[in-house]
Amino acid sequence: METVCDRIEITLPFKADYVSLARLVASGICSRIGFDIDTIEDIKVAISEVCSKIVSVGSKTAAGYTIVYDVAESALNVKYFCDDPSIKCIFNSERDGLAIHIITALMDRVELCNESNYIVSMSKTLEVGK
Amino acid sequence: MSEALKFKQENLGDSVKLSLSGEVDIYTSQELKENLYNIVDTNKADLIIDCTELNYIDSTGLGIFVGALKKAKEHNKKMVITGLKDNIKKLFIITGLDKVFTIE
Repeated sequence: METVCDRIEITLPFKADYVSLARLVASGICSRIGFDIDTIEDIKVAISEVCSKIVSVGSKTAAGYTIVYDVAESALNVKYFCDDPSIKCIFNSERDGLAIHIITALMDRVELCNESNYIVSMSKTLEVGK
Repeated sequence: MSEALKFKQENLGDSVKLSLSGEVDIYTSQELKENLYNIVDTNKADLIIDCTELNYIDSTGLGIFVGALKKAKEHNKKMVITGLKDNIKKLFIITGLDKVFTIE
């Protein structure tokens, strides 16, 4: 991952109503980085899939979850955080097969389960010539 | 906040055409499920899902399509998906659903 230039954070409630907002923010950021339209659509889908899963899991203690978009010169790294420690390893390979397939196919690097303080991390790098 | 999901149903004699426009995500998927399942359950005709005006779909929506196909097969009906945009067709290919559905 190259040096981060800018960081954008949004905190969303656990409501399906606002998942599209995460896509909208991603679209603007990816456009600024220089991703082509098709890649922007791919990134929006991957980001939205994780949001949908987090919303469907929900939380009894946290008011919302935070998406951090780390913007580098030619890459985007996205991490999801939540104060509720119970929200970890949210994807189940059997139940969430379609979502996992989609996320891992569309992004360059994906961590769906880890020991760090974030829920999910994924990144996409701008291809040379695109 | 999602782009509204709109439905247009046309009876074509031996088939029913459901045209979708807008976005299918976790917010709008329940509406899709109710409409689609209702058509499969209450019509004897085959089903055509026209996605020409569908701009976005996620795994929730794809799962509903799979459920509708299963129901259609139980009723010995065909289900065809038409007019997929490239970005949506890509999701069918990634998930292998392009081999499960009849896509025209």
